[in-house]
Amino acid sequence: MDFSIRAANVEDCKDIARMIVELAEYEKVADHVKVTQRDLEQDGFSKNPFFHGIVAEVPEQHKTKDGHTKIGYALYFYSYSSWSGRAIYMEDLYVMPEFRGKSIGKALMSKVAQLGLAAGCNQLNFTVLDWNKPSLDFYLSQGSFDITADMGYHCMRCEGEALEHLAQP
Amino acid sequence: MHFKLRAATKEDCKEISRMILELAVYEKMSDQVKISHEELERDGFCQNPFFECLVAEVHEEDKAKEGFTMVGYALYFYTYSTWKGRSVYLEDLYVMPEFRGKGIGKGLLGKVAEMGKKEQCVRLQLSVLEWNTPSRDFYAAKGALDLTDNEGWHFIRFDGQNLDNLANEAPKD
Repeated sequence: MDFSIRAANVEDCKDIARMIVELAEYEKVADHVKVTQRDLEQDGFSKNPFFHGIVAEVPEQHKTKDGHTKIGYALYFYSYSSWSGRAIYMEDLYVMPEFRGKSIGKALMSKVAQLGLAAGCNQLNFTVLDWNKPSLDFYLSQGSFDITADMGYHCMRCEGEALEHLAQP
Repeated sequence: MHFKLRAATKEDCKEISRMILELAVYEKMSDQVKISHEELERDGFCQNPFFECLVAEVHEEDKAKEGFTMVGYALYFYTYSTWKGRSVYLEDLYVMPEFRGKGIGKGLLGKVAEMGKKEQCVRLQLSVLEWNTPSRDFYAAKGALDLTDNEGWHFIRFDGQNLDNLANEAPKD
């Protein structure tokens, strides 16, 4: 199946917002999504964007039953390792279920890697849930390694009241 | 002991680089440090910096036995959660051993949270090594959740040849 990958623009935010919710549903946490289309427009397409996106599109004749031609996306931002320098972090990678198995996910991830290398990055990092065996197997088969399992790094988060408290002068 | 927290300048990068190595030694991974003050100067002080940094200084009379007055740092950058929005990631937090227990680490952490709040960030995230009980306890006491233990999140990485191979497979434009 033909597909194309290109940089996301502000008009894509509606479809990206739709697919963010679809991905959250797959991860069983759809009620966690607070970000709206408007947030994406402001945070991704202003002067100092918090993230960048790429979208995968299929031709009109392959659109979904709901009429969508934007059927996958990857959302990423630049980060930094104090040990190895510039890095790229892939926050989301998603392909609609009916378009899986056609290497679109792989193509999106490769594109993020390519963009990272072009920007001088030495690492592509992301997280995956330990029960998400299809994704974990996919990533490991592509040559990644599990830093949590191999090196013992734990992800930590402060939010809500704890974060408010921390930010008190 | 009096200490001052301020934004790092380009001139601080040599000292920050020294402390990055000290932190890596503490984490038993000093052979992993590949960058020097030159990369920090380039990447932290360009038009679209990859990170921001705060440093902690003490007065001359309280300097370290080797003569340093810069005794701690916090290196962080802004990230994004497609669920919750703007976030800040604390890449490094370090205070030289002889200056611990004086509120400097807490001060640096609080300052990063404050910077994040100014940018309307709703999360502060970091990673910590499983065996690093003092640090795990420090963050847990501040209300941090361990997402690996509680929700099963794992960090995954592509680097070196594997990253090159992945990028080579990207569709041609």
